[in-house]
Amino acid sequence: MTSHSQYGIAAATLVILALPFLLAGNRFLGFVLGMTLISLLWATGMNLLSGFVGLMPLMFAGIAGIAGYAMVYFTRTAGWSFWLAMPVASLLAAIIGVALGLPALRLKGFYFTLCSLVIQSVLTLAFIFFPKFTNGDTGINEIAPPDWFGGTALTSVRFDFALAVAAVAGILFSTWLTQTHLGKKFVAVREDDVLAESIGIDVVRTRITAFFIVSLYAGIGGCFYSAYVGFISPRAFDVLVSLNIWLFVTFGGRGTILGPIIGTAILAPIPFLLQDLQAFKDILSGTLIILVTLLMPGGIYGAWLKLLSRKRGREVQTTQVREQGV
Amino acid sequence: MSDSSLLIVLSTLSTGLIMGAIFSLVAAGVTIVYGCVWLPNASNGQFFLLAALVVWTFTLSFGWSSLAASLAVIVLGVLLAVVLELVLIRRLYNAPNRNVAYFVVTLGLTQILSGIFSLTYAKWSDQFSVPPVIEGITMLGPFPISNNRLLAMVVSLGVLGLLFALLRYHPYGRALRAVFQNREAAALRGVNVRAIYRLSFVLGSTIIFLGGILFAFAYSFDLSVAWTMSITAFAIMIVGGPGSVLGALVVGMTFGFTQAIVSIFASPTVAMFSYLGAMLIMLLFQPNGLFKR
Amino acid sequence: MKLLEVSGLSKSFGGVAALANVVGHSIEGETLGMIGPNGSGKTTFVNVVSGHVRADRGTLTFAGVNIARMRPHQLAEVGLCRTYQAVRVFSELSTRQNIENARLLLEDRGLGAAEVRELTEWLRLDRNLDKQAGSLTLFEQRRLELLMRLVLKPRLIMLDEPVGGLAVTEVNEMITLLQELKARCSLFVIEHTMRVIRELADRVMVLIAGEKVADGPPSEILQNQRVIDEYLGNAAHA
Repeated sequence: MTSHSQYGIAAATLVILALPFLLAGNRFLGFVLGMTLISLLWATGMNLLSGFVGLMPLMFAGIAGIAGYAMVYFTRTAGWSFWLAMPVASLLAAIIGVALGLPALRLKGFYFTLCSLVIQSVLTLAFIFFPKFTNGDTGINEIAPPDWFGGTALTSVRFDFALAVAAVAGILFSTWLTQTHLGKKFVAVREDDVLAESIGIDVVRTRITAFFIVSLYAGIGGCFYSAYVGFISPRAFDVLVSLNIWLFVTFGGRGTILGPIIGTAILAPIPFLLQDLQAFKDILSGTLIILVTLLMPGGIYGAWLKLLSRKRGREVQTTQVREQGV
Repeated sequence: MSDSSLLIVLSTLSTGLIMGAIFSLVAAGVTIVYGCVWLPNASNGQFFLLAALVVWTFTLSFGWSSLAASLAVIVLGVLLAVVLELVLIRRLYNAPNRNVAYFVVTLGLTQILSGIFSLTYAKWSDQFSVPPVIEGITMLGPFPISNNRLLAMVVSLGVLGLLFALLRYHPYGRALRAVFQNREAAALRGVNVRAIYRLSFVLGSTIIFLGGILFAFAYSFDLSVAWTMSITAFAIMIVGGPGSVLGALVVGMTFGFTQAIVSIFASPTVAMFSYLGAMLIMLLFQPNGLFKR
Repeated sequence: MKLLEVSGLSKSFGGVAALANVVGHSIEGETLGMIGPNGSGKTTFVNVVSGHVRADRGTLTFAGVNIARMRPHQLAEVGLCRTYQAVRVFSELSTRQNIENARLLLEDRGLGAAEVRELTEWLRLDRNLDKQAGSLTLFEQRRLELLMRLVLKPRLIMLDEPVGGLAVTEVNEMITLLQELKARCSLFVIEHTMRVIRELADRVMVLIAGEKVADGPPSEILQNQRVIDEYLGNAAHA
């Protein structure tokens, strides 16, 4: 890892932790921050997988949804504390995620993406058509915020800060991961899975492990989302959410740690700041997806790195930026 | 058989045939483009809807005759396809993993179109129906079928037949199939691969637009047909076999009948579940589908 | 001892037999060559042996272990690896990262840092460690391929056209390198360039239309009438 990116990550961490307090006065901005932080956690997770050639995990939101609904079930019906329900629900979602994704992980390129889309569609339909657990399309509201010490609840600025801590934890974990042998296997499998297998890397097991970790991120984010927003419905966890997170990652620069941070920071607040112009959000989102795929496959951070390397006149040791393709 | 059960049977039969024909047509359009250019068009449902909506606008707002409106939409559709190819599609002809890249790009296109529809058509009406091209009904025994729907079915099947003939006998068709099989080999044999890509994209897209037009005449619709059509078309393509027009026909008709039968007992969403299920099973066990290209 | 042993190995693609009842073996310490016209099944053979493709019939063992159903990463653990006809490295990663990836298999049981450095210097890649692998010359990339295999501590490396695309001086250098490589592990070489086969191989298998038609020392093979008629007579290689 270059010192350049280390400074970037350190700086990002400090900013993220400081923001909840800087925005403490304005609850609306605080909420936007909270939602952005949840998206950041999701983006950091999806980034681990999204760099894989052709593995665009469109079922991400569905897995987040499983955790979100499960968490509500555990806290409401079983009376658990949020802090017990969250890890259990996330683990459950991750296991289900791997089980659902397992057969698809054998598939290459577009077929995986399509399979992933189908699984996501099935999950969304399941959320709608099993109202016993999910209350169907109406959704579940008045979800309690997480319990905190002294019988209070985790609300407003303190909740925002908790989300900031979670996002930072997610970033630091994923940074650490890239330095491990497992992280290097992820990169090798992503870059060229046939070659990786030839030099002794168990591609299938690596993919499964990656998928499990990514599903954990999805699930944890899903639990926080439920408790933070206080209301969930199948719409909250549908394919558009997966697509959006993918966009944040790709726009910022997938395969890098800073990329998803940049992408989320720029794009996530927009729909909230543009409240009334709902339909424009779709058009903007769609346009960005096309632009990013055609013009900027390396994302903003990727373009920045290329610029740097040209200025320095030598090959910069980029860790994970891909030139072309998804 | 009692009169009412006969009616139900005939009704189901006719719905199945008509829906099946339209499904097959759209799926054929999608499968040609995927098989040739490796372009899975996630926005095929939006194209379908676009054609239907514009016919509605031309007939209801402009007062044109249905025939004139249809022709106009075809022409506009071809133009749109050409523009899209120029601006968007051709940039990715040589990209690695271009099937994923195209899928993503068309997902973006889907969002854009869906946003445009929310800003426009969604505000103008909930349900859209278009005046028929030809009036009257035909009696199939005790069962009346609108001539309009019959026309839709006949035209769909006719175009599919033409497509078959094109692919089998016309030099363009042979060139197309050569590129389907192996683009390097085709290039070596002197086929202008890029031109074939262009033609295929425009042809496939136009067929999808045609499907939308015919659907508009057969049924009234709302904006949700876009995504149901997309899922159905993809499911047909995957189950039938990417690149196989025969597969699109056989599986399309099957799905059409499935929809018709299921609609008797349950909501169409159940049919959707079954398409998704079929697609999933195919993807997992036989990604090349039932028929060869 | 026998390393690679195949018997009755057959593979068809859509009705066309790429391999038909191939029988053969390689011995530890010897360099086995394989020649044959284009499309005769040489690469299919390597693909089947190296686990990329499953054979329809036949037995396949390596050092006595049945490897017929093993995937490439398992074969790497058993000591069998291969290189590719069109050179394959992680082009977006640096040379150093490529080597590190190859070291992931053995982790602590693998070569020490000093040994890896020695190999890197021997293969003249020590100046290029931070360069993107995709920006290396073809010859450098082929050397990197070799380095990545050596780090796996293999018993047998299968080389699919190792001098393909190289200039004449590079071919000479590569032959020398491979000769030095023979001291470290057994080799299996597929080649079109007869000079490579003559100078490297102890024994040669000839594959024509998926069938093994001859098996013997190079001097014998290169004079075999059928081989000359069906392959060498038309080949214009040195």
